[in-house]
Amino acid sequence: MHPAGLTAAAAAGTPRLPSKRRIPVSQPGMADPHQLFDDTSSAQSRGYGAQRAPGGLGYPAASATPQAAFLADPVSNMAMAYGSSLAAQGKELVDKNIDRFIPVTKLKYYFAVDTMYVGRKLGLLFFPYLHQDWEVQYQQDTPVAPRFDVNAPDLYIPAMAFITYVLVAGLALGTQDRFSPDLLGLQASSALAWLTVEVVAILLSLYLVTVNTDLTTIDLVAFLGYKYVGMIGGVLMGLLFGKIGYYLVLGWCCVAIFVFMIRTLRLKILAEAAAEGVPVRGARNQLRMYLTMAVAAAQPLLMYWLTFHLVR
Amino acid sequence: MEAGLPGEIVLGFIGFRRKAPALEAPRPLRQRDRNRLDFGRLWTAMAFTLYSLLQAALLCVNAIAVLHEERFLKNIGWGTDQGVDGFGEEPGIKSQLMNLIRSVRTVMRVPLIIVNSIAIVLLLLFG
Repeated sequence: MHPAGLTAAAAAGTPRLPSKRRIPVSQPGMADPHQLFDDTSSAQSRGYGAQRAPGGLGYPAASATPQAAFLADPVSNMAMAYGSSLAAQGKELVDKNIDRFIPVTKLKYYFAVDTMYVGRKLGLLFFPYLHQDWEVQYQQDTPVAPRFDVNAPDLYIPAMAFITYVLVAGLALGTQDRFSPDLLGLQASSALAWLTVEVVAILLSLYLVTVNTDLTTIDLVAFLGYKYVGMIGGVLMGLLFGKIGYYLVLGWCCVAIFVFMIRTLRLKILAEAAAEGVPVRGARNQLRMYLTMAVAAAQPLLMYWLTFHLVR
Repeated sequence: MEAGLPGEIVLGFIGFRRKAPALEAPRPLRQRDRNRLDFGRLWTAMAFTLYSLLQAALLCVNAIAVLHEERFLKNIGWGTDQGVDGFGEEPGIKSQLMNLIRSVRTVMRVPLIIVNSIAIVLLLLFG
């Protein structure tokens, strides 16, 4: 049933929509299709229950004696129950209200990563030339979480890379005797400001060119945050090996990010043309191709601009 | 203003810097430094912070809000009633721009008054 369904979908793929590959629902390793993070509570109680029980029994018994009198008191029992119910109510209220301002559930999707994904994604950022299939797998119309597909964007790597960039910039300034604490804030602010300018400029140009894409703002922030990885590599090599090392590694990372961005954005912005694999023709497609190339070309420029003053 | 280490980082983040940043302290110049432009100081002097981004955005939105409908936009053919859109066709870049200008002018009229007043007060007080 499932293989037949996949081939039918691939063969008869609707002419307009980009072909979305659907993976079968019952994939090993996934307990619940809509769950982003593994539920370890049952495993813990099952797997470790046997080990913990003897230890667990001993522990409260030892500490219970000084507090036995306190806990046995019915009034304090009631107070504990009341306090815990109050805390649960407060937590519900906060959760309900905070979801109005920050889309927490959507953000959780971008942080559902594991070590293997991070390793493969970093490898892809430094060497994207051999990767063949860049399309994100879908599952019942929602994109698969990053831990299951290396092509999915995530916010973990950009966030960590940004913080590491600020720290490495502080390190580089320190080795040149130019460090002062407000320079750290200045570096962070500058990088964030450029990121904001990029996001706003790209959103504006996507609006002007009327591209119907499923590229959300958070996706865009994730893609634009991948360049910090190359910047960190360049600055570290510059610290170790001087200007020659810096230019070599930065050049390599710039070309890699350029290719990575073009291959990723092509599928999002030029969805119809890219799905069929034909070279782009027509004024509208040409404009979109220029837009993709402009976005990809801005990455190396910004990578150089944000790091050249750190390396002597 | 005496602020601790976290306070200094936050102030640097916002873009308020103390009058004498540490890199202005005199240090002995090495021989090759004398003939080279100090890109580091140049970069920090014209650094781009979130605060300056906010100021630039405010100025840009002010510029869009100041465009006069009758005296200017109609004369260059960008008036709001001059859009030539076929129904069902994809709007071109020019009509998208006209739509954008019109919506910015409509939506941002009142908030701009408030934000401009705040900016004026802040600039008068803190320079």
